[in-house]
Amino acid sequence: MTPLLIEALRTPAALAAFTPAQCDLVLRQAERAQLLPSLHARARDAGVLERLPAPARRQLEWARQQGERHLQAVRWEVRQIRMAMAGLGVPLILLKGGAYAMAGLAAAEGRIFSDIDILVPRAALADVESALMLHGWAGVGHDDYDQHYYRRWMHELPPMRHVWRETVIDVHHAILPSTAAAHPDAMLLRAAAEPLPGYPASGSLPAVYTLGPVDMILHSATHLLYESEFDHGLRNLVDIDRLLHEFSPLPGFWVRLTDRAAALQLQRPLFYALRHAARLLHTPVPAALLQGNDVARPGPVVLALMDALLDRALLPEHDSCDGPLSKLARQMLYLRGNWLRMPPWLLARHLFHKALLTPLQAARTRDV
Amino acid sequence: MLTVAQLPAGQLAARLAGAGLTLQTGAFVTRLQSTIPSVVRGVALMYADYPLGPDDGYADFHLRMVRPLNWRRWLRPQVQLLADGLAPFKPLPLAQAYPMFEWGLNWCISSRAHSYLMLHAAVVEKHGRAAILPAPPGSGKSTLCAALVHHGWRLLSDELTMVRLEDGLIAPMPRPISLKNGSIELMRAALPTALFSPPVHDTNKGTVAHLRAPADSIVRLDEAARPAWIVFPRYEAGAAVELQPVAKARAHLRTAENAFNYSVLAARGFDAMAALIEQSDCYDFRYSSLADGIATFERLAAPP
Amino acid sequence: MAISWRLCPGQQLRRRQWDGECVLYNDLSGDTHLIGADALELLLALHAGPADTDNLGRHLRSAGMAADDAEVATMLEDLERLALVEAVC
Repeated sequence: MTPLLIEALRTPAALAAFTPAQCDLVLRQAERAQLLPSLHARARDAGVLERLPAPARRQLEWARQQGERHLQAVRWEVRQIRMAMAGLGVPLILLKGGAYAMAGLAAAEGRIFSDIDILVPRAALADVESALMLHGWAGVGHDDYDQHYYRRWMHELPPMRHVWRETVIDVHHAILPSTAAAHPDAMLLRAAAEPLPGYPASGSLPAVYTLGPVDMILHSATHLLYESEFDHGLRNLVDIDRLLHEFSPLPGFWVRLTDRAAALQLQRPLFYALRHAARLLHTPVPAALLQGNDVARPGPVVLALMDALLDRALLPEHDSCDGPLSKLARQMLYLRGNWLRMPPWLLARHLFHKALLTPLQAARTRDV
Repeated sequence: MLTVAQLPAGQLAARLAGAGLTLQTGAFVTRLQSTIPSVVRGVALMYADYPLGPDDGYADFHLRMVRPLNWRRWLRPQVQLLADGLAPFKPLPLAQAYPMFEWGLNWCISSRAHSYLMLHAAVVEKHGRAAILPAPPGSGKSTLCAALVHHGWRLLSDELTMVRLEDGLIAPMPRPISLKNGSIELMRAALPTALFSPPVHDTNKGTVAHLRAPADSIVRLDEAARPAWIVFPRYEAGAAVELQPVAKARAHLRTAENAFNYSVLAARGFDAMAALIEQSDCYDFRYSSLADGIATFERLAAPP
Repeated sequence: MAISWRLCPGQQLRRRQWDGECVLYNDLSGDTHLIGADALELLLALHAGPADTDNLGRHLRSAGMAADDAEVATMLEDLERLALVEAVC
């Protein structure tokens, strides 16, 4: 049975016919999936807000206010980051939610997120980190192992939190770690970055950019399939759906998407992302891309397994949607994400350390 | 509309144990589920006069009080609050289950209801005009509020002042008044016929008990009130009673500091606060006895 | 050489005044500030259009607010830190 939230995302107009009990459930599913402000935007765009029962409409209003405030906070945060990077000669390339928000994309509507993600050249990492620290950001409580792990293997610095704004910034130099099987070239991504209108370089302030449309979609697909947290899986899929709706009308879009996926070695994650956006959210995707070529499409056994996992993991993490295998599916995808990001020997050491060594270290410091 | 007290015998416990009891709590519908005996008793006693919510399956807030399944279950039993299945707080000792419901519901409302400017303040009404008492710790506002609502003032809320964004009126949210430590005995002595929940000890606020909201305040929970005064109370043993006007710009900022969602509401929050300040006389109020408090508010409310 | 100043784009100077004190909403940061009459006068002058430090100083003095150029410069720097005004290159 399709969860009500999925029905509402596919066809927002259907909300007009929901009973009070159905409204109650869809709002709770949306809240859990962090899609409540999004649901407001979709209901508004479909012209059905006025037809909802007043209490349900009121809850969506509450969520809309949060989304609006969040956007203001993002703009302010980007301003602060830009000022911190003044004089470095490094452009400020925004990724993910920060990019959608600043570019005013449909994907940004009602999307609340906790971190700002930026992309800088690897060579500039040390300078950027110092500049951020000078302006009040500090590494978040990680032990020495985490710090070492991040800097050596990961495609990003450990997250940095601002000391009094308490906002978090993730500084990436690539979109996948060097240990991953795929190697999307960050230089290609940076070269295709598009300037954000209204934010040219000014004095010592860097210009602000977002990734090109096709790269944004590929990054979102990569994030969905490689990163660990499937509690935001549906929201991530909704991003992809919204981005596709926004950019697919551009001439030659689908060809550019597939060509670029090949150039960045991201054909497999794109295949899964398109497949599940089409399956779950009914995003219009051309049949040829759903079919995929030999590189993109996995073998039938792997495909069946991934379908089973993703079908479950992408549903809202709510009692009304979870089946007996949902938790297991999310765990397996977490392991797979880790597996894909690093080779087996490193994975074992990482998980072993995380599971056993870190608590021992913590105990040691407590005794002192 | 049926009230909780009008439910047939056994129905209250059955609903709480099953699909949930829906309550009309001010402008919101709350669904509560629990099999914990102190919660069932607390609700039966404190919410007797409350209308049940509509039977259509919709609720604004979904709370469940459970006993977490962990090793402590027998040694030191605990209670967990679940807001639609998620636990926003760490478990507390089981004895604190009923207060935890009250705190939990306050938390649910104050973190979500952004069509109101929500203040951490008590609010009472007389002759159609409302007095707001913002509440930093040590102000004694709950005790003062409890006294006022038994001396001619209607209880709108003891914790959450709900200012409607669309018209600036205060929406009632009458709920049991929470009292701490010495003020419990004080109010018991002052109000021999009022109903109190059993005191709960060793909470992080000390000993806590709840005083049932006057029946009149629940009957009139649909009657919004126009704000007229903002009074910052400060209890100081032995001090002479003093009511000092506060400059409005300062009152704006001080009240904003006592708001839950002033920042979330952004420009609308600013406008709502400014409108509230505009129509209110703002005071600092120092007092050392409830009699002083009652008398001062009586003078404030006297028709001009 | 006097620096030229303007209101930060997006600032609408949403404000209320009571008895000579002013609360101001900062559209960019979301903060609310308590500002004095002289700072408000500076902001209102810039609301009309960009101006340099000297002109702003003269404007304040003609409005009856005593302020030497150093004070005006300090005030503008404070307002710049709050993202209410910015220097124009």
